[in-house]
Amino acid sequence: MGNFDGDSGTVFEQSYATTNGANGKLPNGNGAAIGSPSNGGLNLNHAEEPRGEAEPFLSQRKFSAPAYTEIRTRRCNANAAAEAKNRSPNYHPEKRSIANGHAKVLRDHEETQPNKVEGILSPEVEHSQKTSFEEVPLHTACLTYLGFYLLMILGYINQLLFVPKVATEKGREGYVTLYDAFESFYSRYVYRRIKDCWNRPICSVPGDELTLKDRVSDDYGWSFKFTGTETRCLNLGSYNYLGFAAATGPCADESEEKARNFGLAYCSSRCELGNNEQLQELESLTARYLGVEDAIVFGMGFATNALNLPSLLGPNCLVISDEKNHASIILGLRLSGATTKVFKHNNMRDLERVLRQGVCYGNPKNGGKPYKKVMILVEGIFSMEGSIVRLPEIIALKKKYKAYLYLDEAHSIGAMGSHGKGVTDYFNVDPKDVDILMGTFTKSFGSAGGYLAGTKKLIDFLRTNSHAHCYASSISPPIAQQIMTSMKTIMGEDGTEIGRRKIMQLARNTRYFRRRLAQLGVITYGHEDSPVVPMLVYLFSKIGAVVRTLTTRHIAVVGAGFPATPIMEGRIRFCLSAAHTKEQLDYALEAIDEIADDLGLKYSNKPRDPNPIIY
Amino acid sequence: MLDNLVEIASYWWFRYLMVTELYMVEKWERVTIHVIFMVLFCVFWYFNYSVLLSLAGLISPGAAMADILPEMSVASGLKVT
Repeated sequence: MGNFDGDSGTVFEQSYATTNGANGKLPNGNGAAIGSPSNGGLNLNHAEEPRGEAEPFLSQRKFSAPAYTEIRTRRCNANAAAEAKNRSPNYHPEKRSIANGHAKVLRDHEETQPNKVEGILSPEVEHSQKTSFEEVPLHTACLTYLGFYLLMILGYINQLLFVPKVATEKGREGYVTLYDAFESFYSRYVYRRIKDCWNRPICSVPGDELTLKDRVSDDYGWSFKFTGTETRCLNLGSYNYLGFAAATGPCADESEEKARNFGLAYCSSRCELGNNEQLQELESLTARYLGVEDAIVFGMGFATNALNLPSLLGPNCLVISDEKNHASIILGLRLSGATTKVFKHNNMRDLERVLRQGVCYGNPKNGGKPYKKVMILVEGIFSMEGSIVRLPEIIALKKKYKAYLYLDEAHSIGAMGSHGKGVTDYFNVDPKDVDILMGTFTKSFGSAGGYLAGTKKLIDFLRTNSHAHCYASSISPPIAQQIMTSMKTIMGEDGTEIGRRKIMQLARNTRYFRRRLAQLGVITYGHEDSPVVPMLVYLFSKIGAVVRTLTTRHIAVVGAGFPATPIMEGRIRFCLSAAHTKEQLDYALEAIDEIADDLGLKYSNKPRDPNPIIY
Repeated sequence: MLDNLVEIASYWWFRYLMVTELYMVEKWERVTIHVIFMVLFCVFWYFNYSVLLSLAGLISPGAAMADILPEMSVASGLKVT
């Protein structure tokens, strides 16, 4: 459903409309939606046509930069020439018109097969059964460390022999260095080598497909040149969980109208002249959406955590934080000056141990007097692990020890639960049991910003005390409109079924993709219902090789390496979306299967499901 | 036949470069590391050849420890404490 030539918003509507009507037209409608070949081809040719003499040369090198030439694998070698001939600019040429098992088509088909553990075991055991954190094989761990040491040694040799090709400041004799030595060493001699896998510029809407702007590097990542060509890729990297990121459709139309009527900015903070009816409506809508009393919205998701935690917590408070919490939470905690204790990821026993110690022994810096507040800080879906918080157990613990609970639903809001209301909806717990609900509009809603929700008293307190409320300028009208329209769509207040369908589609895509990956034998982390799917590749060079090879197969993914993960656990992170169709996932899985064979990613020792996975 | 062998060899060479992270480094760095590897290998080989092999030769099924130790200390001039 190309954002390239068509529009995912309308396509969704149209195909759902046809689904409701007659079933006969479906495969056709779907096929047309997946980007017509002639259009894709034409556009690409068009992009290449008006270039001068030097540029065709650059465009030939699209995938022949030093980085790409080294991707030689057994299968690629054998039929590289044949493939190169057959490869069309569109990435799944022959499957376009095949009738398929897409949710839109298989309307009357039964639901996706449930997990075997469902309903048999207690909820806690079931949750841990569905969550997978497989141990790294010993030899891989050793090799990863060996490789890391080799990279370090080479980095030091390189630094010793050559002057790094970076900008240097003049006239700074006698000054102390402004930048951290190890960090710049790391980014110059480890990260730089596979830098082409990150910060890739895109030039389209990040819907189910996106267009990457090609670039090449002649000096191993020190500098990049644009080739002037573009690559259309299947997008498995954006956090566009419900597929609301689109340049057309009702969301975009209403946002445009809003921009025409109200401009783009209020140029003032909410406390001064930036408050308006729309934002208040957005806040009450958010509160209604989440099922709590009140909510407050901010213009930036990261700042929602980083700037509001200091207003809730102070030096004599105890915070018990999950070890995999996001950088924004950690920054907020540091700003607040509260005592922070970390518990093992999603480990309730460890949480209780830390909690009990904190409550029993009090604040040692204050002579063992009790802490003013105790707060548990967790995320709904952990973005690097793909795991889901064990919310019911945490709520039980929080009630037992009378601690507050702050739940960051950055990734889970919209993406989890049958109504898209996040993990509270997924676990069917009362959202009022969570003291502070936080989330972003950046991901599922396809917009920008963040919210905090809870009791009226809490929100009023934040309205007077939050730095982000008093000093940051208010949300831009079209952005707020995008949030409102998409939120109403999810809630079904626009009078259509689109929102519910999108949620179902995402859940279905997630289970299918995760199960197929498990069947391939690669190690994935996390809970089987979480749309963030990290695939473990462990080594740096494998991150680079996988991202590069998938790009040549027209799939855009994101790798995550050392600073974001432990040294040993490099991973590729797939983010699923309701905009993906079954064919697109199948295409991606096929490519991943091949690459996993070629690069040796099938580390898993788990028994594999021999039966075909039903979508 | 030969092509096949070359292909298999180059594939496993690629896999070897991959697990040692040499895949993502520059050519001269790769050569440097391989030289270091070769030097290490040679040193080990020499050590095994000169020290371990002579030690191993002394350990035969009939020989008791008492036979081995004084002989070795005499022969190689090592002081055994």
